[in-house]
Amino acid sequence: MIMTAPQDGKTTQTLMIVEDEVLVAMVLRDELQEAGYKVLDLTERQAEALDVARAEKPHLALVNIRLAGRDDGIELSEHLKALGIPVLLISGQVSRASSANTVAIGSMPKPYDAAEMVLAVAHLLARLNGDGSLPRPDQLEVFGEDSFDLAPAA
Amino acid sequence: MSAELHSRGDVALSLTLAIVTSSPGPLLLLDGQFSIIAASTSFCALFGANPAQLAGQKLYTFDDGEWDSPQLRSLMTATLSGEETLDTLDIDLKRPRGPVRHLIVQARRLAYLDLEQTRILLAVSDVTTARADAALKEAAARESKVLLGEVRHRVANSLQIIASVLLQNARRTSSDETRGHLKDAHDRVMSVAALERLLSTSGAGDVEVQTYFTRLCETISATMIGDVDQISLTVEGGQAIIDARVSVSLGLIVTELVINALKHAFPDGRRGKITVDYSFHGPNWILCVRDDGVGMPLTPPAGTGLGTSIVRALAGQLSASVEATRKQPGTQVSIKHTQIALVADEAEAASEPLASTRLRPARSAVDG
Repeated sequence: MIMTAPQDGKTTQTLMIVEDEVLVAMVLRDELQEAGYKVLDLTERQAEALDVARAEKPHLALVNIRLAGRDDGIELSEHLKALGIPVLLISGQVSRASSANTVAIGSMPKPYDAAEMVLAVAHLLARLNGDGSLPRPDQLEVFGEDSFDLAPAA
Repeated sequence: MSAELHSRGDVALSLTLAIVTSSPGPLLLLDGQFSIIAASTSFCALFGANPAQLAGQKLYTFDDGEWDSPQLRSLMTATLSGEETLDTLDIDLKRPRGPVRHLIVQARRLAYLDLEQTRILLAVSDVTTARADAALKEAAARESKVLLGEVRHRVANSLQIIASVLLQNARRTSSDETRGHLKDAHDRVMSVAALERLLSTSGAGDVEVQTYFTRLCETISATMIGDVDQISLTVEGGQAIIDARVSVSLGLIVTELVINALKHAFPDGRRGKITVDYSFHGPNWILCVRDDGVGMPLTPPAGTGLGTSIVRALAGQLSASVEATRKQPGTQVSIKHTQIALVADEAEAASEPLASTRLRPARSAVDG
């Protein structure tokens, strides 16, 4: 796929992936990188994810609910939210993801297609920048629509 | 003979006592001061009481005073005064010997000829076991729900890993042909995954066909390799609910036929349209996938296409026939299941477009 992330004249947008299934994380990283995003080092535990997040301040974190070492992605999301980093949950635990609608900005439930995840990321990043014009993949659940404070699409 | 030996009053009283005593449900006959006149054998058995000792005893002193509760007192007072609103009481009886018993107590003031002598009938149902059973059932239902959620989560996770491995392999291979095969395999896995997602949100074992096919087509659109921007993918047909097992097969058939049309019907950037149409009439149904492309050979050369053999195998599993017909322009493949021969076999389902998806809708948006 030849897709590039919107550059809007600024630096490349940075993402982080926190996922305990390394194969899933790798494919996601490759797909997002190919779409033009900078993807930080893959992490699978809360502590290392927070280290990376503090050091790099990504624009969006993609977080699985189940993490390595029985760490919990929702707990991690609370810490990330406190750091001002928005979270997209990427878990098959649909009901838990939906119940975390105050700590995350959206949920893309497994099994998702990597290409659709790229669309979901583009959609959310654009919305965070006040642009609601990008298509929202059917599977993407967006939490707290009001909190995005959308400006009219340019 | 007895009528000669006993007065009519004695006979009536003994009949009353006999009825109370033999009642299968635990029963007490009380006077206006709530003293026990008679107890049924079933009552005595339930509470381990001696019938001889019960007679004359006050209700509130029975069982070491365990029956003396404010709720029971107000029930009895209400019954005595003829109020009917409070005539059933749910009580947890804590007994000195033995476990707590959950009782449903009903009191009735008897209406009969002797207005001077108040009589109250107290019926007791022991629902301890029934309550425990209901609680167990509820716990079991909750547990199954949790387990089902866990299973669905694991299935979703496994499908994600399989899809990721296939996609990873597709990215790494240098052979276009191999990449094509791996992408097809990835799409087949995602076709099952789309269904799994629907099931996990619907909760039940049934699937709404149009919703499923629409999602399926969106996924296929998002993942297709190559320049297929000029092809639209439309889902048509009536609203139908089908069993999850049938929908797995139908979804895989749709995936194969759509992939096939995308690969062969529109060479050299030709513009066009692929339509997925499911209609039904009672138990009979037809699934059509048609394109307005260049037209394909109706009988592919022997040994070609995993896709073709998958479609035939799945159609066979659904007791359906596969028929390919040439259209002007394009090709239509119909999967037809006829369970009952109907006289006027016209599908009642309206064939109007329900959803239309531009292939790879995001490309222009993201690029732009």
